[in-house]
Amino acid sequence: MLGTGVHLSHFAAMVVFALCVSVAFACLGRQTTAGRIKYAAWSLALFLVIGVGIAWLMYPFSR
Amino acid sequence: MATDAPLLEKRNNMVPAIAILAAIAAWAVPGLGHLLLRRWGRALFLFLAVGGLAVVGYGMRGEMFNSRSSDPFGALGFIADACSGVFYFLGRQLESSGSDISRAAGDYGTRFLAGAGVVNLLGVLDAYRIAAGRKR
Repeated sequence: MLGTGVHLSHFAAMVVFALCVSVAFACLGRQTTAGRIKYAAWSLALFLVIGVGIAWLMYPFSR
Repeated sequence: MATDAPLLEKRNNMVPAIAILAAIAAWAVPGLGHLLLRRWGRALFLFLAVGGLAVVGYGMRGEMFNSRSSDPFGALGFIADACSGVFYFLGRQLESSGSDISRAAGDYGTRFLAGAGVVNLLGVLDAYRIAAGRKR
């Protein structure tokens, strides 16, 4: 069904992963809609900032 | 009345059948456990989150572990993958060209598939706790 494959850059893959996990965490961890939106946005931002931060920290060792 | 106390305590400690049913349903189809418990929003977004991770993981040609793996990491991978319920069993159809972990994308896909299972496991535990009356 997905024979042609999904082609994502590394960053896009990280965003998709972070988005899905953030939405799930927000749904399971908060009761109200406003709380869920805030939690999902905060979780997504932390995923991305920490991910990019770790990538920069590892950059000197990549070559 | 004092003789009823152990009986009441035992009854309180019993897990309701609906909690087991909700947990099994939540494992089989992500979000179904919450759907049975009338938690519409959680059901929808949990299905989308787990389904999104699994479909993208298959699309990136991630590796789906089987139960006959010889090393401990493979066994853990199988447990994580199997927790995604129906998406584990649809793996053969969704990933008709097979896995390819020789590329980075395939390796990422493997993490997506494991992530889908772990997120669904959280959903199973959540549905169980709601049905058992331990969470709103």
